[in-house]
Amino acid sequence: MKARPALAALLKAYVVLVLLFLFAPLGASLVFSFNSDRFPTLPLGSFTLEWYRAVLSDELVRESLAHTARVSVLSATLSTLLGFAAAYTDYRHEFLGKRFYLALGLLPPTVPAIILGLAMLAYLSRLGLAGSWVAIVIAHTVICTPFAMALARLRLSQVDRSLEAAAWNLGAAPWAALRHVILPFCAPTLLGAWLLTMAVSFDEFAIAWFVGGLHETLPVRVLGFLQGQVSPRINAIGTLVFAVSIALVAVAQSVLARRLSLRRPRTPAAPQPKTLP
Amino acid sequence: MTPSHPASNRRRVLRAIAGAGLAAPMLATRALSQTAPTELTMLAWHGHAEKDVVAEFEARHNVRIRPKYYVGGDNMLALISQSPPGTYDLIQADAEYVQQLVAAGQVEQLQPRDYPFDDFFPEFHRFPGHWVGDKLYSVMVRFGFLGVAYNTLAVSEAQARSYKVYADPRFAGRVGHFDWHLPSIGQVSLLEGNKLPFDLAPERWKHVQQRLLAMRRNVGGFFDYGGTFASLRNGQMVLMAGIGDWITGVLEKNGAPVRTMLPEEGGLQWTESFSIGKGSRRQDLARAFIQYITSPGGQVRSAMMQAYPALIPNRKGWDLLVAQHPQEARRQRMEPGKPNVMDDIRGKRVTLRALPTRQSLEDWSDFWSRYKNA
Amino acid sequence: MHLLTSAGSPPLAPPHELPASARPARGRVAARPFTLAHSVPPLAWQLAFFLGPLLFLVVLSFWSVRNFRIEPAFEPANWLRMLAQAHVWETYARTFGYASLATVVATVLAFPAAFAIAFRLGANARRVCLFLLVIPFFTSYLVRVYAWQVFLSDQGVINAILGMLGVPPQRLLNTPLATLVGYLTLSLPLVVLIQAMSLTLVDRRLVEAASNLGCGPVRTVFAVIVPAARVGIVVGALFCFIFSFGDFVAPLYLGGGAAPTLPILIVDTTKAGQQWPRAAVLALLMIATLMIVAWAMTAYAYRRRA
Repeated sequence: MKARPALAALLKAYVVLVLLFLFAPLGASLVFSFNSDRFPTLPLGSFTLEWYRAVLSDELVRESLAHTARVSVLSATLSTLLGFAAAYTDYRHEFLGKRFYLALGLLPPTVPAIILGLAMLAYLSRLGLAGSWVAIVIAHTVICTPFAMALARLRLSQVDRSLEAAAWNLGAAPWAALRHVILPFCAPTLLGAWLLTMAVSFDEFAIAWFVGGLHETLPVRVLGFLQGQVSPRINAIGTLVFAVSIALVAVAQSVLARRLSLRRPRTPAAPQPKTLP
Repeated sequence: MTPSHPASNRRRVLRAIAGAGLAAPMLATRALSQTAPTELTMLAWHGHAEKDVVAEFEARHNVRIRPKYYVGGDNMLALISQSPPGTYDLIQADAEYVQQLVAAGQVEQLQPRDYPFDDFFPEFHRFPGHWVGDKLYSVMVRFGFLGVAYNTLAVSEAQARSYKVYADPRFAGRVGHFDWHLPSIGQVSLLEGNKLPFDLAPERWKHVQQRLLAMRRNVGGFFDYGGTFASLRNGQMVLMAGIGDWITGVLEKNGAPVRTMLPEEGGLQWTESFSIGKGSRRQDLARAFIQYITSPGGQVRSAMMQAYPALIPNRKGWDLLVAQHPQEARRQRMEPGKPNVMDDIRGKRVTLRALPTRQSLEDWSDFWSRYKNA
Repeated sequence: MHLLTSAGSPPLAPPHELPASARPARGRVAARPFTLAHSVPPLAWQLAFFLGPLLFLVVLSFWSVRNFRIEPAFEPANWLRMLAQAHVWETYARTFGYASLATVVATVLAFPAAFAIAFRLGANARRVCLFLLVIPFFTSYLVRVYAWQVFLSDQGVINAILGMLGVPPQRLLNTPLATLVGYLTLSLPLVVLIQAMSLTLVDRRLVEAASNLGCGPVRTVFAVIVPAARVGIVVGALFCFIFSFGDFVAPLYLGGGAAPTLPILIVDTTKAGQQWPRAAVLALLMIATLMIVAWAMTAYAYRRRA
């Protein structure tokens, strides 16, 4: 397809526009986090760091950040593992009840969070797990696994089936074939799924409010601020989280780039048939 | 990879400084506390466990209050009914919800002699809903009025003197509702002339509904706590139904041109109280807190609470407030010698907000949903 | 030698030409430890922690509320009462409509951006873009929605700009348009990402082939690229629909709650004296709808090419 420069420039400008749309509220939040007025209106008041000071010295905010970090890392890891396992099962096998299996894996996001929150609270409290961060990890894994599963399945649908078959035919055990053929192919997607599920868990507030009890995660605290206090602390927290996440994703991206550049680029191309003697 | 690259050195130093900066407050507090403070858990509306209210109590008793803030009594009831007993030592609730808490067996019985009821105004000695017969379950801590909240630059005082202003076509699309049916329906019920706005015969209930539906096209939105603040502050809404000084007071103190007025049809009174959670393992400490918050000093802090201000039931609290914060005492009309809020109550210009008596709460809620959809 | 020929089948060959060992095994799954290891854990987890609470939800919808306490019972009255009310169906229709609109708008708005990222940007620029697209996931959705009010209010940024251009102030906040903006804030990053991912995986040789055969650029896009990336486009659209259908933050904070959607109705129902059973009825209605939509869309997405 011949690339026409005018069209290409237009498309690039469009991408910038979309990014602006996505980042405009973040920019506004950043600006207002330094604003002296308690409510975000124009014109601006004076520059101040008091909201950051308030947030950083607030013990409950720090605690909730620690909770959130722990919960989201655990949920992300569990979800990616379970999601990939389910996607691989879907990719490899046909069996009776497969539709049901897939439905179980993909349905959690369809349940409204507030209802799932209450249902899980009632259910988990009968199991004696409610009010602990374990409960939040369980609940978040349930809702994050579908994302990991969908992403993994998407990537697996691009795998050349004959590669794995070749590995088996050459005598590899199924574990080894998985490890050396499928997983490297899926690795970038799995990292992406891990980050995505971590993000979903990081920002999830409705279920965490119910199930976490006194162990509040950061978004629950933000929801509390939003609904109970309305102060620029919200913006200060938002900006801090934003800064941390940029750092996180930058690290992940650079790690990924290095890994990818160390391998020869894999394309699902056919192995060149050798001429037979 | 390269050992001493200047950029990576710089980065390392910056990171160390940042880390130290973040850790400093934690180190400071750890150095100061000798014995670990006892923890007291509290289930409350936002702001009740903030430093401006509880710091004195925490210091005096070496306690750390750990709050779980809720938004809306129903979330609170659901949470508490599913949590193990004794999770929450202190429960702060609106009067309507205390009845539900008692019925659900979630609060301990209290001893009246433990609390300074004698210092309260006589009207508050036996607040309905806090007592079941002779048994006390909850202690009144603060109250407030609901009326016509308006933007003083857009709405005149004369216009704000009646709930009819909500239907004034001049303010089409700029009238908001606090998103809770009870106070808004109650206000319109008062407009319809019902002296007991929550005790409605079927005919009167129908008229109240019709009155509301007739003003629906004036309504610009239904807002929760945060949304109410935002809309009034940025001028999106110039009238807000179902709220009072507890919101406009905060905005006023921040310089916004808003006020609440008690209209001629009368206002509503909301009431907050504290109870001790059933099965709490620190009942002595919880009791000490309630004593603190009902003492004159605690009452002044409660009246001045940063999250939202309120009126206080303790007479000695009023005296202390006049002495320490005369401007706020004047603003909230809690000065003993002058016309004050107790006169409003005695003059029957306010009635208590309550659960509907002749219809079920579901009926009112279903109507509210129909009203939103209209 | 036989081994090499059997593995030498080209990737574009239709599936039925693959050797038997590479085809997905039909019938019962062999109970080998390996198979069990990857198929059972997700199943067990979801059964225990998803299906369990869900079944409890169904049971809950039949319970009654007496004296503000939820009590086990069997009362179909909850279902009859909720489903018989006109405003429930009005709200349902409105929610479905808004979510569908958001899905179409998001998909259409995302495509040019995803296309540009996949086909027109160099590797570095693409990495930066994907990086930037992932960032919003790590920021609070609540904070972003709250911040949009600054732009959309009568005295906000957009009206200020319009004012400079001589346009009178427009009512932007507390409208369905604002709700749509909120939905887009929620879903657009994900939709663009999924579409971009899907488009980068489209085999370039197909595109070359089409152009070599004389297809114009527009026709190539619609006849070749879009069908090749169909899975990604539909999956992205599905996520957008699900998010928008179930979100209560945007219609409440940006839409002003004046045009209530089902999630708002559910929250309101719970405020009606602990009526969690009736709220459960509405929730099950939502779940059923989303299940059907998800099934239909994934069936369409993964439909085998003829």
